[in-house]
Amino acid sequence: MAQTETKTAEAAAAFQPRIVAFVCNWCTYAGADLAGTSRLRYPPNVRIIKLPCTGRIDPLFILKAFEGGADAVLVSGCHPGDCHYTSGNYHARRRWALFRRLLDLTGIDERRLFFSWVSAAEGQKFADLVADITEKVRAAGPLEPANPARRRL
Amino acid sequence: MSTSEAIRADAARLLAEGRAKLVIGYRARGPHRAPAFVSDPAGVDVLIYDNLCKQNLAVYLRKPEVRSRGPVAVVAPPAVMRSLVVLAAESQLTEATVLAVGPDAYHGVLDLAGAAALLKEKYADLAPSPELLEALAKLDAMSPQERARFWTDQFAKCTRCYACRAACPLCYCARCIVEKNVPQWISTAAAQHGNFAWQIIRAFHQAGRCTLCGACEAACPQGIPLMLLNLALSEEVAKQFGEKPGYDPAAKPVIGSWKPDDDQGFVR
Repeated sequence: MAQTETKTAEAAAAFQPRIVAFVCNWCTYAGADLAGTSRLRYPPNVRIIKLPCTGRIDPLFILKAFEGGADAVLVSGCHPGDCHYTSGNYHARRRWALFRRLLDLTGIDERRLFFSWVSAAEGQKFADLVADITEKVRAAGPLEPANPARRRL
Repeated sequence: MSTSEAIRADAARLLAEGRAKLVIGYRARGPHRAPAFVSDPAGVDVLIYDNLCKQNLAVYLRKPEVRSRGPVAVVAPPAVMRSLVVLAAESQLTEATVLAVGPDAYHGVLDLAGAAALLKEKYADLAPSPELLEALAKLDAMSPQERARFWTDQFAKCTRCYACRAACPLCYCARCIVEKNVPQWISTAAAQHGNFAWQIIRAFHQAGRCTLCGACEAACPQGIPLMLLNLALSEEVAKQFGEKPGYDPAAKPVIGSWKPDDDQGFVR
């Protein structure tokens, strides 16, 4: 029993969350780029996928990430009013407001799905955000084995 | 005159006058109620209406084989009328002739505007059943892991027959996302990941459109509680955007429109 507990504690300490970040080309990707060129340090747990706009982010993308074994997903784009395509982020915001409820109901709760606005000038915000959500996901633990979306063969 | 008799009389009159060439209603099949398609005034005797009539007949109105027989009249309880109003709001219907029935009354022959007015006047506060509300509250009280397990068990039963899609009047895409395979977003195998993606996306594509008629869940041969997903989304739509689909034929789509001051408390 004691041995199992030690193993669990070790596993928690060693747990490296896999976080998939869907970001828009114009703001958050540039913000992440700024974090990099400014040599800001942030956890390497986030895998960034660049898309033209948050409006392009279909809920299917988020499902696919969880299907492939992500522990959490971050979706980030331009602040309201700053969208390169005028209103893509407003459309996305409505979609997320409903989609997060659906995922929460099916067992992928708010500790697994993050939304943010990060502008091209906010390199520090991006680095802080990634550090913060990595800690939160680490505290929540792996999504497996209770990942309802997971691909199993 | 009973509701069934009133429906028969109006159906016969519409057909005889040529205002409708086809009347879609309900008929008895043993203890069940099946759809009836009546094109001859002499055949209206099969039509009945009682509280066993649960199928959403609005599902037939967009089908080409039904449209080509038009003009069509449809026996419509409030749930069907709401579906018709959503279809009109989405430019899928321009006109409809309905034989409007309520749980306790027959309201006669109405057009689309009349049906919308009747809904607002008499059926504005159609509430989900207490059992359904209780089931959703129970699910929400569980831990995320328990909820994941609950849905994994439920979706494991899914055979991907798509009866839920066929029964829903609002699932009308000519080519459904699940049938698109370049790229294939949703696996068509009746396995966990494909079932989860299908059920989530089916529910999400109804967000802001679903009228909670219950046709999908009633059609499911495996008894998956789809209404829990639909109800959770409907409640969220009402809470976040103050919308209740199926009352205003000129309503803007909930997803597809936006307001600058939509709540963004969840965005960091």
